[in-house]
Amino acid sequence: PSPPLPSTPSPLQEGLNMNHTKGGLVIFTANSHPASRELGKRISERLGVELGKVQVYQEANRETRVQIQESVRGKDVFVIQTMSKDVNTTIMEMLILVYACRTSCARSITGVLPYFPYSKQCKMRKRGSIVSKLIASMMCKAGLTHLITMDLHQKEIQGFFNIPVDNLRASPFLLQYIQEEIPDYRNAVIVAKSPASAKRAQSFAERLRLGIAVIHGEAQDAESDQVDGRHSPPTVKTTGAIHPSMEIPLLIPKEKPPITVVGDVGGRIAIIVDDIIDDVDSFVAAAETLKERGAYKIFVMATHGLLSCDAPRFIEESAIDEVVVTNTIPHELQKLQCPKIKTVDISMILSEAIRRIHNGESMSYLFRNIGVDD
Amino acid sequence: MPNIKIFSGSSHPDLSQKIADRLGLELGKVVTKKFSNQETCVEIGESVRGEDVYIVQSGCGEINDNLMELLIMINACKIASASRVTAVIPCFPYARQDKKDKGFFDIPVDNLYAEPAVLKWIKENIPEWKNCTIVSPDAGGAKRVTSIADRLNVDFALIHKERKKANEVDRMVLVGDVTDRVAILVDDMADTCGTVCHAADKLISAGATKVYAILTHGIFSGPAISRINNACFEAVVVTNTIPQEEKMKHCPKIQVIDISMILAEAIRRTHNGESVSYLFSHVPL
Repeated sequence: PSPPLPSTPSPLQEGLNMNHTKGGLVIFTANSHPASRELGKRISERLGVELGKVQVYQEANRETRVQIQESVRGKDVFVIQTMSKDVNTTIMEMLILVYACRTSCARSITGVLPYFPYSKQCKMRKRGSIVSKLIASMMCKAGLTHLITMDLHQKEIQGFFNIPVDNLRASPFLLQYIQEEIPDYRNAVIVAKSPASAKRAQSFAERLRLGIAVIHGEAQDAESDQVDGRHSPPTVKTTGAIHPSMEIPLLIPKEKPPITVVGDVGGRIAIIVDDIIDDVDSFVAAAETLKERGAYKIFVMATHGLLSCDAPRFIEESAIDEVVVTNTIPHELQKLQCPKIKTVDISMILSEAIRRIHNGESMSYLFRNIGVDD
Repeated sequence: MPNIKIFSGSSHPDLSQKIADRLGLELGKVVTKKFSNQETCVEIGESVRGEDVYIVQSGCGEINDNLMELLIMINACKIASASRVTAVIPCFPYARQDKKDKGFFDIPVDNLYAEPAVLKWIKENIPEWKNCTIVSPDAGGAKRVTSIADRLNVDFALIHKERKKANEVDRMVLVGDVTDRVAILVDDMADTCGTVCHAADKLISAGATKVYAILTHGIFSGPAISRINNACFEAVVVTNTIPQEEKMKHCPKIQVIDISMILAEAIRRTHNGESVSYLFSHVPL
């Protein structure tokens, strides 16, 4: 095998002062859907690099096929993958591309997944599977050496990987939007639509020097104690037991109080913050409640706008005035259906992360002012 | 049989039920669904602690969804303390993108053969079988075809593609003789069926009286069904590794060989620790 040729930086690259490794940098998007490639295009434009040539498509028999059309030998490969409607296919596309790069001797393979899929299935529920762990194992096995993601639903998902994971934050962009686009934001209250998002609400409120409110008592779905139909026999009473009537104490079932708003929103703007906005029932219900308690304008700010099924229609018909999401997940279709949806572009921080990783620079600048609890 | 549970994925519930029936078992309770964001959710509905679990999922239909469902089910069973989890994958997906081989897996793999069932079908359904010719539609299938031809004690032939230019239709050359014979094309997959339909035309023009096609996995994607309807087959025979009911409604030439007994017997033997190699040359009753 001949030694690698020294790469001569093109004038464009030299102008941007990109300090390449001997091999250089390649950025791929493994999405077959054109709408999902938007973010990848923006990131590569910011970096002044052309997107790598790769063909990703579904064959007639629904198998995914990935064909890389340039050499990745010895290069730092970055695979930008945004989640589309077909989650499983998107995951498969990425795994196949990563594995192909690995077997083609790429120097390193960094996955850029702004929204990490199956992040809501990260806990053990009844007889389910911890799918995030499964996906993490699959990605590491396929050859991923580094992961860049944004606002993981549970930070502990980082522990599922045995490779470095950079969990970037979208909050600086959302905070900037609040300060620049909401004229009387100083009269706002940051609202958590359930106690689970209270920490996030507090983090926003402290940075903006505002108060918070927490809504409690709504019908929760995922975390409730439901009867799961298991037939498990009760404990066996052994004859030699000291207390024959001793039983394992039964956990008292939870009962949700009627909807209460802890905190005052009367005569204020309410800004509901969350990490994911998918099924909007709980958001719509929260907005109703806030309106009743006197809030005169209601915003919803979330990092990941999944907005599945009829979400745009429900938002359009609800008391919510504006929904602000980032472009981690493509949502052009939903925006057409509902003009209340606005987008914040976060490609800047992703391209900066890629640049720093490729140049071996410190990433701590991107995490400044982020505390342990954020 | 104690300590055994069989679960079905959503790709081919009919085959799973047939397998369970043959084993005299009920299929295990499992709920597979998709959330509104299209993420797959799997919940096993009964205890699998200490059980020998078999999950039947074929690589057909929406392959990536079915593959993910299978992985999640395996993972769920493992975390629920199943003693052993075996995946029964009648049609293995992505088999053509890299050659599926025992060397690619770290776990035991039993690659069963449809050949015994195919031989049985030929003897029972083609009256002129003693005087037929087994034909491979490409050079790669020669080994498969000679194996069948030897067991039936008949001749074989193969069709060789001569590639002239990149965008030109390849010229097909028949190597062997099919004049006044019944020709039986044998291959492992029927996907878009371009090759096999061309082969049939070639065989008829070379003097074959009838042409049958016997293909293990009937994927039939894209224009396959219309191609078959317009071609000159006596019958196109596939196994039920992939559900065929819908396609049979659109194409009367398709017939199905049931292989559930082979899979059921493999499961039974694996569970009891018996040899599976008996199935490589015999069809269980």
